Amino acid sequence: MTDAPAPRPADDSSLVLAARQGDRAAFGGLYARYARMVHGILLARVPASDVDDLVQDVFLRALPRLRDLRDVARFGPWIAAITRNRANDYYRQTRAVAAVTESLPEDEAELPASNTAPDAEAAAILTFVRSLPETYRETLILRLVEGMTGPEIAVRTGLTPGSVRVNLHRGMQQLREKLNQAALASGLVADSSSGRNAAAQGKNSLRRRNEP
Amino acid sequence: MNDDYLWDGSGEPDPEIQKLENRLAKFRHQGEAPEFPRISAARQPRSWRRLVSSNWSFGLAAATATVLFMAAFGILWWSQKPSTNSEPGWDVESVAGTPKVESSAFGGNAGATKLGIGQTLVTDSHSKANISVADIGTVSVETNTRLRLVAGGHGHNRLALDRGTIHAYIWALPGEFTVDTPSAIAVDLGCSYTLEVDDSGAGLLRTKLGWVGFKLDGHEAFIPAGAVCATRPKVGPGTPYFDDASASFRAALSKFDFGASTPEERSAELSRILAESRQRDALTVWHLLARVDESERGSVYDRLATLLPPPSGVSRDGILRLDQKMLDLWWNQLGLGDASLWRTWERSWSEAKS
Repeated sequence: MTDAPAPRPADDSSLVLAARQGDRAAFGGLYARYARMVHGILLARVPASDVDDLVQDVFLRALPRLRDLRDVARFGPWIAAITRNRANDYYRQTRAVAAVTESLPEDEAELPASNTAPDAEAAAILTFVRSLPETYRETLILRLVEGMTGPEIAVRTGLTPGSVRVNLHRGMQQLREKLNQAALASGLVADSSSGRNAAAQGKNSLRRRNEP
Repeated sequence: MNDDYLWDGSGEPDPEIQKLENRLAKFRHQGEAPEFPRISAARQPRSWRRLVSSNWSFGLAAATATVLFMAAFGILWWSQKPSTNSEPGWDVESVAGTPKVESSAFGGNAGATKLGIGQTLVTDSHSKANISVADIGTVSVETNTRLRLVAGGHGHNRLALDRGTIHAYIWALPGEFTVDTPSAIAVDLGCSYTLEVDDSGAGLLRTKLGWVGFKLDGHEAFIPAGAVCATRPKVGPGTPYFDDASASFRAALSKFDFGASTPEERSAELSRILAESRQRDALTVWHLLARVDESERGSVYDRLATLLPPPSGVSRDGILRLDQKMLDLWWNQLGLGDASLWRTWERSWSEAKS
């Protein structure tokens, strides 16, 4: 869990205004503040291996457009929207406009090269999170992966605290159900082969969900 | 155990959530900030105090003053010169063939132009175009399409699609981009969608990502990703449905919305829709609550309650009298998006019209 306090809109405004004047340090400040949110939004939609590159791409796209941001206090919702669009572009470019889960190749979950039990288990859990409805998976990834608090998610994304709380609660509820179904919830898996099995179950769950 | 730990990390730690946090931490953002290019900015005016305190000679200072004066004059002249980039309207480029803006064809060597407010873009059976919607998205225009730019800028971007097909990819704030069709208004709520209108004015909206609102007078539909909604002139938007619904479900819905000529026929189609609805079709059944007669609302309520139990704060009586707050609460339970987005847009829309 992060200790960073949620940003005040005024802080964002001054950084945006300074960045508009060419202040790279100010834009770097916005990056430091919002990179996790951008990363989380992308991770909810595109393969993890491509997320880091896309984070930088989002900020580089946002930079020249800063002057078009009408309400400088709403940098967060603005760059969140650019990020979601960048994820859309990712699929347009790969000729697969669909949910991220639909585009993952059969044998490509997020299994890391090491294939250790915790890694395989983490990949399986991420797959389950990403099989949740879009509203829940984004909020849940910001909370569980990026370590943002609910209030911080609300301030940075522009969602109401009530909506974030509901999304976290319901998303967690659905995730628990999925994990329970996959026999992951109690103690989680203990060896790499079962971790890979869990990942496979996650993918199968996604496939079933996407089948007509 | 309550949700405090999930919400803000306070309260009694939830071991299951902690375990998930630990496992998933490996995916957390750890990248360093890249070296960002400098944004070209207006040069800050140099202070006269600094000029006076410099060691420059008077002659050099005078020459500098002259240059500064000329530069200032030049900047003033340049700033008042009409700029092609500041012309109102959206950039349009030809993707295939020679589309037309008003009567001017473009394409080939002259592959781009502006679509001004009030102007019409037409593609024929061989031409296609792409429109850059201010800085908030793009619209791909298919063949045999005719559309008009109604308004642009200041959070109010509006097209009218008379006929044909467009694909919209919009990253503006919800409600900032709308498309009028002869039978409904499509309101972007943060999404990617395809909108088709045939020569009769009937339309079909298919949402790929995010969600779209479809509205005509008091008739409205929320269309999330993966869902489709048809619309007809003088009737407005039909009931949205997921495109993986069964063929018989879709056929019954189409008759219910646009084909049934008697109340009995409509009632029979409603029974078929309710009987065939899957859990995922709660989207459709929720919409039906406001579309059926009062006498039929109870059966719709019962079916929806089976598919998706009403959340706390929602009562049967309230839903039967179409209590807006309760309907929205139940909608939010679907997990497809927050109804407050749509209500906010509706309020601003009503204020703009009044």
